[in-house]
Amino acid sequence: MKRNIFTSLLLAIVAILLPLGAAASESHPADSTEEKSGAVDAQGIIFEHLGDRYGWEVPFNHHKSIPLPVIVWGSDGLHVFSSARVEHGATYRDGNAEFKVAGKDSPYKGKVVEIIDGKEVKPTIDISITKNVCGVFIAVLLVIWAIMSVARWHRTQGMKGPRKMTGAVEFVILFIYDGVIKPTLKDKANKFAPYLLTVFFFILVMNLLGLIVIFPGGANLTGNIAVTLVLAIITFLITNIFATKHYWKEIFNPDVPWWLKWPLPIMPVIEIFGIFTKPAALTVRLFANMMGGHMIVIVLTLLIFIFAAMGPAVTGATAVVSIIFSVFMLLIDVLVSFIQAYVFTMLSTLFIALGQEDGHGEHKKDEAHGHDAAATPAEAPKAPATNPA
Amino acid sequence: MELFTPDFGLVFWMFVSFAILFFILWKWGWPVIMKGVSDRADLIDKGVEYAQNAKQQLDHAREEADKYIADARRQQADMLREADRMKSQIIDEARSAAQSEAKKVMDAAKVSIEQERKQAEQQFRNEVSSFALDIAQKVVRNQMKDEKAQEQLVSSLLDEMEKQN
Repeated sequence: MKRNIFTSLLLAIVAILLPLGAAASESHPADSTEEKSGAVDAQGIIFEHLGDRYGWEVPFNHHKSIPLPVIVWGSDGLHVFSSARVEHGATYRDGNAEFKVAGKDSPYKGKVVEIIDGKEVKPTIDISITKNVCGVFIAVLLVIWAIMSVARWHRTQGMKGPRKMTGAVEFVILFIYDGVIKPTLKDKANKFAPYLLTVFFFILVMNLLGLIVIFPGGANLTGNIAVTLVLAIITFLITNIFATKHYWKEIFNPDVPWWLKWPLPIMPVIEIFGIFTKPAALTVRLFANMMGGHMIVIVLTLLIFIFAAMGPAVTGATAVVSIIFSVFMLLIDVLVSFIQAYVFTMLSTLFIALGQEDGHGEHKKDEAHGHDAAATPAEAPKAPATNPA
Repeated sequence: MELFTPDFGLVFWMFVSFAILFFILWKWGWPVIMKGVSDRADLIDKGVEYAQNAKQQLDHAREEADKYIADARRQQADMLREADRMKSQIIDEARSAAQSEAKKVMDAAKVSIEQERKQAEQQFRNEVSSFALDIAQKVVRNQMKDEKAQEQLVSSLLDEMEKQN
């Protein structure tokens, strides 16, 4: 307690003194480069950080980046070359084809394009190992390593309790399995647990990797709609492929008054629409949450540079406040990383469980409602789903 | 808007990566962990059950031991009492046996004394009677030397017989 007070006092003093000190030095001529470059291109920086790119930037260096392979199917076949070749707007000639990264004004901004007769043409297929793809690979390796270490423990150490990291990972596995999967899916839990647990750990690791600013982190993976879309599509496929007859019956011929189905099939249309809104919700919620968190941290950091135009005193004050806030935001993002992975897993479990319902479960639920208001375990996790995060 | 348009390359690699990740974990990861965890849970359950049983048995054993000790004490007391009883019984028996034996001896002695006495008495009587007869003979011989005296006696005797009849 005493220590906390001391720390906050110290911070307050720094917050007051720093701008004062800066103000004292105001008489010195301001940095000339700043005036030349003019206003900071905040939007450009934000989108550059949130987006994908060829090559992985390194800290404190804008000219060099870790090169990654570019794989494109151009007009005359497959081309594989290093991203270093097309850095900083350079044009690269591979055989007869010429490639460059499209500039800001191009409709294909930031993507590798082929130059044919002076025109920029998007290659048919672009499966380059971009920064995000590389990030996904790293996440995959980390997840495999983490889970396999637990599996190895179980294989080699038998009944001993796992320690340290193995124990922590196992705790999280059981937290998800016993807290989410088992109560919702009941006897079918073991059938879907591998997928759900994999999704959880994959998202969690990707979320956390996104918070680390330098390699191997820094790729805004779960804040990228492609990543969340793929995960949501897989959940969608599993939900509908393994769905029971009852589930389909509820969609095409739901248990509602006949005039909601005939002559206008209102309910079936809504239900069919619902099949597709579920993965859409999954995609957007994870994407928006993670991207929002990243964006706030970047904006807070950028504030320092935006306010730099208003003199050193303001810059100093902004720097202190911005850093405190962005550290706070990053800490919240650690929490959010876990929560979003948890929510994605929980919703996936719930959607799959809805597809697994047979007639008996429905009856039981009705009975339970008739006797007392106590929610059945299957319903309990539904509650957070209703309030959008 | 570029943020909202999924990039094909990333979607492709994401599918591939996830497929590989899922396959590896599905094949070598989750089953081992799930089995290990449930096995360990079973083991712990069994251990708890075993400990409970052992405790119960221990409590039971103590009770049993107490019971045996109490039993043994009671038996000991019983045996002591029995021994005491037997002791006095044996003493009593011995005493009564001795008494009866003594009595027998005494009785035998009494009988033989009586016999002796009777014999002695008989002998004495015989002797007294023979003495008396001798004396009577001598007296009678002396008195019956004359005939007159004999007749007188016979007649007195006859008188006596007449009177009796």
